[in-house]
Amino acid sequence: MISSLKRFAFRRFKESETKVHELNYLFWECTTRCNLNCLHCGSDCSKDSEHTDMPLDDFLKAVDTIETKPENFTVVFTGGEPLLRTDLEQCGRELRKRGFKWSIVTNGYIYNEQRHISLLNAGIGAVTISLDGLRDSHNWLRNNKHSFEKAVNAIELAASSNRLFFDVVTCVNQRNFSELGQIRDLLISKNVKAWRLFTIVPIGRAAHHPDLLLTDSQFLGLMDFITEQRKSKAIDVKFSCEGYVGKYEPYVRDAYFFCRAGINIGSVLIDGSISACPNIDRAFSQGNIYRDNFYEIWKTRFQPFRNREWTKVGQCKSCKDYIDCQGNGFHNWHGTRENVLVCHNGMIERALNSMNA
Amino acid sequence: MKRNWTRRLIGGLSITSALFVFQACYGTLQDYGLDLLIEGQVKAGNTGLPIKGIKVSVVHNMQFEVTGEDGKFSLYTENVKDLLLEFQDIDAEQNGSFIKKDTTLNVVGRQVYVDIKMKEK
Repeated sequence: MISSLKRFAFRRFKESETKVHELNYLFWECTTRCNLNCLHCGSDCSKDSEHTDMPLDDFLKAVDTIETKPENFTVVFTGGEPLLRTDLEQCGRELRKRGFKWSIVTNGYIYNEQRHISLLNAGIGAVTISLDGLRDSHNWLRNNKHSFEKAVNAIELAASSNRLFFDVVTCVNQRNFSELGQIRDLLISKNVKAWRLFTIVPIGRAAHHPDLLLTDSQFLGLMDFITEQRKSKAIDVKFSCEGYVGKYEPYVRDAYFFCRAGINIGSVLIDGSISACPNIDRAFSQGNIYRDNFYEIWKTRFQPFRNREWTKVGQCKSCKDYIDCQGNGFHNWHGTRENVLVCHNGMIERALNSMNA
Repeated sequence: MKRNWTRRLIGGLSITSALFVFQACYGTLQDYGLDLLIEGQVKAGNTGLPIKGIKVSVVHNMQFEVTGEDGKFSLYTENVKDLLLEFQDIDAEQNGSFIKKDTTLNVVGRQVYVDIKMKEK
């Protein structure tokens, strides 16, 4: 009864949030240069990116169009590897002057003590660092034999700051699936308080590595692992918001699934495109900062994000969970959009059915 | 204002405090932190001229910045009560020699400006 009421209230909450569509989380794809060449990269970045870094002034002109700034408005610098920008601190300071908070997603490879201090001085508020396994499995995925030690060093630094909102993310795949308990212990020993797990969507380079993807029974095992860890509270473990997970919804996150792409989350991509999360098919771009007023686009466009009825196709068309899932995470719609790329709940149900068969 | 109130009421009915705290799948946590912007200038006590090369350290953590040509510094740090700053001449004789100085800031608000005068050795 209470569960049904909660779900009902949450649906109304989602409708209300969608109607208001308050922008309070903005990705800036500030570079597509990268110092690693990860097997699973969703953005096809490289050391020799075809794009030059977006000049700070161009980005500032876009954010200066934003008329209302909620107090928690966070600009997330992403890439590529944002730390490759030597003017990152200047970018951050300019944002703070304008009343925005800012943060970075990093592979940690060049996150050393000096950079940690200069980022804090420039007013950084949150950091996410990737750790994709123990030494061998992390280095394999990151395609670099030093990446594990560099990432752990970065994690130690970030965890030492009381100021930072900090978490570690792990792409769960075939190689690290059996290591999850050991990774958890490692993170706890490094004083990490929050750990987010996600799976790899077959886009970007990952599309060519099907071995990176979990089987249905492994995915079910991941849900059980997260559920168990959340009971112990030794570290705040959660599943990312990448997809709807049916009966596991109350147990693997702090809130039910809600893909906020285009509802609260926007982005300015490397070529000036205006969209939502950077891993979303770029054909969904709603405008471009080099010809459009960013905030006008946010206020008046983004219809495919705010009305997802168009996702009622393929396997979603007759799905009994559509009312709560609404086509899963937006990044699961690529190319022809005839069917959702990954159905997380489908994986769970198939695994349960095969167990019961 | 009314719209925000309604949002929070509906959110509250779904009995979770996490509704307004979220992160994109591949993004960071949102920054709900309250920090403090410390800006200031370091000058020589006897001449009143700005001093370059003074290390300004936040004593309770690892943060520091070194003053530039204009003696100015600017850094964000954790907002704690009675924040202790240390001023230290780290470039030997290059820009004069000054005696180390500590200052405790009684901060009200989110921003503070400090003028520091350092005595020559």
